[in-house]
Amino acid sequence: MSVEAISPPTGPPSDLDFQMGLDLVAYQQKQRRLLSIKIAVVWLVLLSFITIFLLLIEFDFDYVIENAWYVIREGAKWTIIISVVSISFATILALMGALGRLSKNAIALGLSGFYISLFRGTPLLIQIFVIYLGLPQVGNQLRLLGVSQDLPFLVTMGDWFILTPIQSGVLALSLNYGAYMTEIFRAGIQSIHHGQHEAAISLGMNRSQTIRRVILPQAVRIIIPDIGNQFIAMQKDSSLVSIMGVWEITYMASRLARKEIKFMEMFLLAAALYWLLTIISAWLEGLLEKRLSQAYER
Amino acid sequence: MNANPLIQVDNLHKWFGMLHVLRGVSFTLQTREVLVLIGRSGSGKSTMIRCINFLEEPSSGVIQVGECVVGCNPGVKPDPNTILAARLQTGMVFQEFNLFPHMTVIQNVIEGLVTVKRMSKDEAIAIGEKYLAKVGLLEKRDVHPIRLSGGQKQRVAIARSLAMEPKVMLFDEPTSALDPELIGEVLDVIRELAYEGMSMIIVTHEMGFAQDVGDRVMYLEGGVIVEEGLPPEVFSNPKDPRTRTFLEPIRKYH
Repeated sequence: MSVEAISPPTGPPSDLDFQMGLDLVAYQQKQRRLLSIKIAVVWLVLLSFITIFLLLIEFDFDYVIENAWYVIREGAKWTIIISVVSISFATILALMGALGRLSKNAIALGLSGFYISLFRGTPLLIQIFVIYLGLPQVGNQLRLLGVSQDLPFLVTMGDWFILTPIQSGVLALSLNYGAYMTEIFRAGIQSIHHGQHEAAISLGMNRSQTIRRVILPQAVRIIIPDIGNQFIAMQKDSSLVSIMGVWEITYMASRLARKEIKFMEMFLLAAALYWLLTIISAWLEGLLEKRLSQAYER
Repeated sequence: MNANPLIQVDNLHKWFGMLHVLRGVSFTLQTREVLVLIGRSGSGKSTMIRCINFLEEPSSGVIQVGECVVGCNPGVKPDPNTILAARLQTGMVFQEFNLFPHMTVIQNVIEGLVTVKRMSKDEAIAIGEKYLAKVGLLEKRDVHPIRLSGGQKQRVAIARSLAMEPKVMLFDEPTSALDPELIGEVLDVIRELAYEGMSMIIVTHEMGFAQDVGDRVMYLEGGVIVEEGLPPEVFSNPKDPRTRTFLEPIRKYH
């Protein structure tokens, strides 16, 4: 049907009408171009306002330029590493959580429900504190018990609970975002038409084959924008790990700001870096979305 | 009557909540037989065909497909392996085609062979191409379903079911979602299968086709089989008043 619809019209073509169509398309394209130019102008005006404001307050551009590379090299590196690793773990957790939510098994349902409720219902900052500062108490108790009872495996286990700042940050971000993303995955899986399940089942597929081969590939395409959104939010929330002294963007910026009392300079630099990172992420997400939609283009 | 029917359904009941959709249906299907189910929407004919491959779990009754016998009772879970074995002897074609949109045509057709039958890809593709050629769509092999017309989609769906080499094909209103001008190509494929001796159960509203292709026709109403017989007899001389009422407008205009 669709193939016929886009093929050129049959029957005697009227040159006059054809020209009318061409003119119309050209006019619409011109309008669209004009609109993008106008939007670009608005952005430029806004950015120049900010620049003028910075010049008025004698913003120290030199200090920014001096330190920018250092903040990017160390800070942006760790921000990217922490975000990428955490979003990967969070995706795995979310997938398991969603399958749990959709199962009929009491243990899976209970576990996933409890996990989502707990980690969505408490602040990320508190989770970071509990993991970084609270868990070592557990670890120390285990170590003490291990030493006094002469059980070396308890000492080893105790060490697992004492995490570095980066490990704590990744764990907290993964658990927290995994809980949010569970609901995204669940909604994505449920949005697939039940006829797809039925077709797979009638071919003899079992539940896990159906999910893996038929449902997930379609669901992932639908939720890619949401996952991208979560990734952008996570890049910014990763600034919370600065509180443990991880050398990511926020920590680097605030250190350099305090050194010479250049708060506006360094925090605007940090803001600009986060902004740039999220713009790049949104662009990458767009590419991925386009790629996954290829099968759906007529 | 053959001693060993291909499908034997005995006293099948299906409840949806408090809705009693199938009220003790029993029938048999012989090998190479084409059985056509007709009836109003809500009469239970789709539910019945879906019970045969256990897309719907029967509330009670015994369903035998080939060698597999599955007995269902309220509160008893039938053995999943027997259900799978029974299901693999059936091929289902849906009203809404239900092709996998993220796969190309050939990937759709070989999916069951590769994932369920654990066939190698080359082997599966050879079989897949054979059945795509059979439905006349080999040239669409590498296209995604979105670029097919409704009729072409349904023919791919038929090829996908046939590729699993089932003993019986189940058609659940295969042309009801199609534009009128596309119905013919799908019916032609089904008709050809019938001539080749494929056993089939077809739920349809295409009465002309039903008469033409059916060896036997069954009229369902209110979850029971009201009438069954040879198509010419049922269509031209329905015995039950309910069948007569249902067929009246159709007979008037055809």
